[in-house]
Amino acid sequence: MRVPLRGPSSWTEGVIGFLASAGAVVFVSAAIAVLKRWMPVLSLGVLYLFAVLPVSVLWGLALASAVSVASMLAFNWFFLPPTHTFQLRDGANWAVLAVYLATAVVVSALAARARRRAELAEAREREAAARAAAELEAEALRRSDSLKTALLHAVSHDLRSPLTAIVAAASSLANPQVTLDETDRGELIGAIRSEAERLDRLVGNLLDLSRLRGGAAEPHREIWTVDDLIARALDELGPRGDRVEVVDAEAPPVEVDAVQLERVLVNLLDNALKFSDRHVTLRVEARSGGVLLHVTDDGPGIADREIVFEPFHSAGDGAGAGLGLAIARGFAEANGARVWAEDAPRGAHFVVELPVAARAPVPT
Amino acid sequence: MTRVLVVDDEPQILRALQTTLRGAGYDVDVASTGEQALTAAAVRAPDAVILDLVLPDRRGTDVARELRAWSTVPIIVLSVVGDEEEKVAALDAGADDYVTKPFGVEELLARLRAALRRAEPSGEPVLQIGQLKIDLDAHAVFFDDRPVQLTPHEYALLALLARNEGKLLTHQAILRDVWGRAYADESHYLHVYVSQLRRKLEPDPARPRYILTEPGAGYRLVDPLRSS
Repeated sequence: MRVPLRGPSSWTEGVIGFLASAGAVVFVSAAIAVLKRWMPVLSLGVLYLFAVLPVSVLWGLALASAVSVASMLAFNWFFLPPTHTFQLRDGANWAVLAVYLATAVVVSALAARARRRAELAEAREREAAARAAAELEAEALRRSDSLKTALLHAVSHDLRSPLTAIVAAASSLANPQVTLDETDRGELIGAIRSEAERLDRLVGNLLDLSRLRGGAAEPHREIWTVDDLIARALDELGPRGDRVEVVDAEAPPVEVDAVQLERVLVNLLDNALKFSDRHVTLRVEARSGGVLLHVTDDGPGIADREIVFEPFHSAGDGAGAGLGLAIARGFAEANGARVWAEDAPRGAHFVVELPVAARAPVPT
Repeated sequence: MTRVLVVDDEPQILRALQTTLRGAGYDVDVASTGEQALTAAAVRAPDAVILDLVLPDRRGTDVARELRAWSTVPIIVLSVVGDEEEKVAALDAGADDYVTKPFGVEELLARLRAALRRAEPSGEPVLQIGQLKIDLDAHAVFFDDRPVQLTPHEYALLALLARNEGKLLTHQAILRDVWGRAYADESHYLHVYVSQLRRKLEPDPARPRYILTEPGAGYRLVDPLRSS
């Protein structure tokens, strides 16, 4: 228990302080009574400092001053001749008492001051700790805020950009002031189509993300061959899938939700295709207990192998909303699979590990 | 041929605008970064610039400011809803007008024509905007050929708007020009004077057709016959 700085703050503490002070004076007096057989009694008066000091530290200067005076009175009463009176035979003893008293008061003032300093330092420490805690909380708020901001940015920029291209192209086709030849028309119609598809992908990704966040992505796991899963993903990618080079290998069947695994593979391949102009490789590797699918590209690569999986972490303007990899990992984990990025000498290297089916596939 | 420089980092938007503007009879240069835009403008001076506010390497506002340092070319910025502050910053940095994404090409072409028209110095001492006539030499204003009495500040405000017919002027730009630099933040002055002007000029001050409010940005004076 810490005792407050400026003397006893409550009645109980006051009583405790008083009793402790009286006890200390009695104890030192008893000690002097024992020790005076071996030492001159006059020099033993200094032992009263042992009563004054703890009182000063624990209860402050006021009580310590009282203890100083009480000590000197006790010293005089019990030990200075004539004993059991408050009078002094030897006038020089007055000077001794005065020196002891002054010493006791100065020492207790110093001790009280040291204690005050210690308390101030402690208060500062507590304040700093409280500030640090508040900052931590603010940081958490900022993080959740930045997620919301990222969502707003995704919605405002990534939805509006394709919309802008679509509205501009459509109104241009409809505008009689704009003269367009066949190539121009084809180009504008192509832009409308590809931007509408981009919008559709983005809306799909946002829905997937909200399903994953809301825990509504309950997988229906069935037994599939890896070849089937790859074929579904390539089919979904359409003509863009032509750039994917598949390096196949003998692999045991896996047990996953095919629709969700398709999202995992499509998002990983889509990401690789986006950052690479050339072939993207999808390599199958069978291991004990799992099947690994390696997706590699020769694009600019990634800076941080974990942060790329955070939702709304985008490689920059035009690179998309930064949802694809987060969704891939979310669906993979819901299926007992794993997705991670590996160090690559150049480009990016993502790996999916699929759980092997526990039972043999039922022949059809 | 009139040359327009289009700056946007979205390839599809860039392509659609390029095809459209070419089809509307303009010569088109494109740039997808601020750096490219400044270089393109320096190599082949455009007659107008269409500038996206969000670019990968720098803010569109900064590009507008740098262009303004050495060129008076009209600049139309492409902004999005929710980016009002940036839009006003770009206008204060010297952009002439804005179009909000997504936009129809009719609107963009109309803004572009207006910006190009303003860029040609008229030098005429008498401005005729619809039924409004302003004699800049005589400091006299007529509406429907009837003289209109204006206070000096009202006249200064109207003359500024009229000299920039069709152009969006920000609150700050107007206050600085009419009242002086120290009054740049006193928008309430401006609102009071605009409503006084409307009462003296507009046939129906509650539904202004000449002095239009651009919410959160500023005012523009238009010819109701030409803009409709």
